[in-house]
Amino acid sequence: MHKPDLEGPGLWTTSVGSFPKPPYILEARGKYARGEISRDDLLELERKATKEWIEFQDGVGTDVVVDGEMYRGDMVAFFAEELQGLEIGGLVRSYGNRYYRKPIATGPVGRDKPITVDWWEYAQSLTTKPVKGMLTGPYTICDWSFNEHYPTRRDYVLDLAKVIRDEALDLEKAGAKFIQIDEPAASTRMDELDLVIEAMAIVTEPLTAHTITHICYGDFHHAYPKMLDIPVDQIDLEFANSDYSLLEDFARVPFTKYIGLGVVDVHTHEQEPVEDIVAGIRRSLEFIPPERMFVDSDCGLKTRTVDEAKTKLSHIKDAVEEVKRNL
Amino acid sequence: MTIRTTVVGSYPKPPDEGDTFVVRKTIHGIDKGATTVDDLHKAQDELVRTMISEQEAAGIDVITDGHARWDDILTPFASHMAGFEIGGLLRWFDNNVYYRRPICTGDIEWRGPASVDAFRFASETATATVKAVIPGPVTFARLSVDEHYNDHEAFVLAIAGVLAQEAFELEAAGAKIIQIDEPALLGAPEDLDLARRGLEIITGELKGAETTTVLATYFGDAKRLGADLFTLPVDGFGLDLVAGPENSGLIPLLPRGKRLQAGIVDARNTMLEPVDTLAAQIAELAATVGAENLMVAPSAGLEFLPREKARAKLGRLVEATQKAGV
Repeated sequence: MHKPDLEGPGLWTTSVGSFPKPPYILEARGKYARGEISRDDLLELERKATKEWIEFQDGVGTDVVVDGEMYRGDMVAFFAEELQGLEIGGLVRSYGNRYYRKPIATGPVGRDKPITVDWWEYAQSLTTKPVKGMLTGPYTICDWSFNEHYPTRRDYVLDLAKVIRDEALDLEKAGAKFIQIDEPAASTRMDELDLVIEAMAIVTEPLTAHTITHICYGDFHHAYPKMLDIPVDQIDLEFANSDYSLLEDFARVPFTKYIGLGVVDVHTHEQEPVEDIVAGIRRSLEFIPPERMFVDSDCGLKTRTVDEAKTKLSHIKDAVEEVKRNL
Repeated sequence: MTIRTTVVGSYPKPPDEGDTFVVRKTIHGIDKGATTVDDLHKAQDELVRTMISEQEAAGIDVITDGHARWDDILTPFASHMAGFEIGGLLRWFDNNVYYRRPICTGDIEWRGPASVDAFRFASETATATVKAVIPGPVTFARLSVDEHYNDHEAFVLAIAGVLAQEAFELEAAGAKIIQIDEPALLGAPEDLDLARRGLEIITGELKGAETTTVLATYFGDAKRLGADLFTLPVDGFGLDLVAGPENSGLIPLLPRGKRLQAGIVDARNTMLEPVDTLAAQIAELAATVGAENLMVAPSAGLEFLPREKARAKLGRLVEATQKAGV
């Protein structure tokens, strides 16, 4: 277990990863796609938006900050664009009127240079708080892409794991003390949880940073407690959108890692009152001590508006301060 | 009798690369007040025409309307019944695709047909035979939340009663083939007898001799049900031979005269299957169940693929079927 390099009694605030893109970024991405502005023009705006989000987090007093992913389309497509062996595929629907470009593995996956280190260094240069390195996990990249190259899913996942490990090592070399390897797909198939664990071991084995994985709700009741075998220091989970029902599982089998406690729902415009968040954190403290608790939103906030996301982040901080006052 | 080709249901909504995605734009427009629901219906009509013409051009014998108007197979039915509200997003089996979970909060009652107008539009548009698709009662119940009956059996049978009415209306509208989707039954063998009672309610409303019913399963194998699956009161069974390779062991157990809808082309991966491999597989299936009882299909709905890949897969399925029949 790698202890987080942080001061204080615990109950640190952080974020899951993505923040909403301000309207000027959405507009610029459209213009860039149509060839109306250059890559450098877009980059300049993405840096501006990143700086605004870092300043916001510093203003709120977030303990472990994120760059907000202003430069990422979605969490798999971004890596597919940057890695060798993956192509951007056609549009497929994910739900309702939402579609995404699903990548296709057409050759061996590889990386000729670091993908996320420049952004991490830029974000870290803007703040004295630690910035998390943010990677998508090998199992999720496999599960959310088509495979035309590898004979089995396992071959594909384990190859991806080596690439993500190299990226994580580069982040660590650059100075990252927190590295998050997201596996939202991990709870999809119980019969492949062993593969998730095997792949994560490849990624985290050489790391000395505090490692985190974010897993979306899915079939949690079946994935727990086995998910505790995923070799990371912290697991970040959604609590708010199920009214903290995961705690029932923790009552059965104690949660032994650091927790990332999601306390606001990211799929609703409604703002959770601070006192509700306080109550949720207090319920959770019956199962996990404060020195092993990070508090954040259920999932990335990118589907909210900028104002909604800022209010949710402020509420999280206010609630945590309230709980800490009466620990 | 030649081997027939069919599809399981959905077809990709996005157009080919570079073409305008009219339906998506129209829905965005409604949110902004720039387009109307009427515009959306027109755009959906046009999308159905395109989906039908692509299936026909590929040479598919029994087609669907591509579920062009649906986001998933439950919401269109649940939102037409009394007793249901539409809830939050949930993962659709093991796919990175999400459906809205129906929540039952009161007595379930028929409030008029949910899919009949769409079926009529498709069959008037198409030259090929159009098959009607409805969700099965066990799958419907298992993917919903029951806050009212608090009794799984009563819940399944109440849903079956409404689906029976729907099937009756579809038959009256001219449906010769009605497919009942029960993918959730694969993971719930304890519901087999309940499925039987539900299906009896549904097929009991139909004029047996003239209408063919097919129970479709996909995303896995039926090994936990075994050959008991084939005792359900329908004319044919759909099996996914891609995600459920063990299903091939069940096929020799299919009772004589029952039909097999064999999902042999992977509807969830872009890799194109070699025509010769498919043709050999089709020939073997025909030798086992009889060509006259065999329909070949993709493994599931095609909406998991980009449009070009779905079209290419259907082309190969038809080519392989012709080769196997020679």
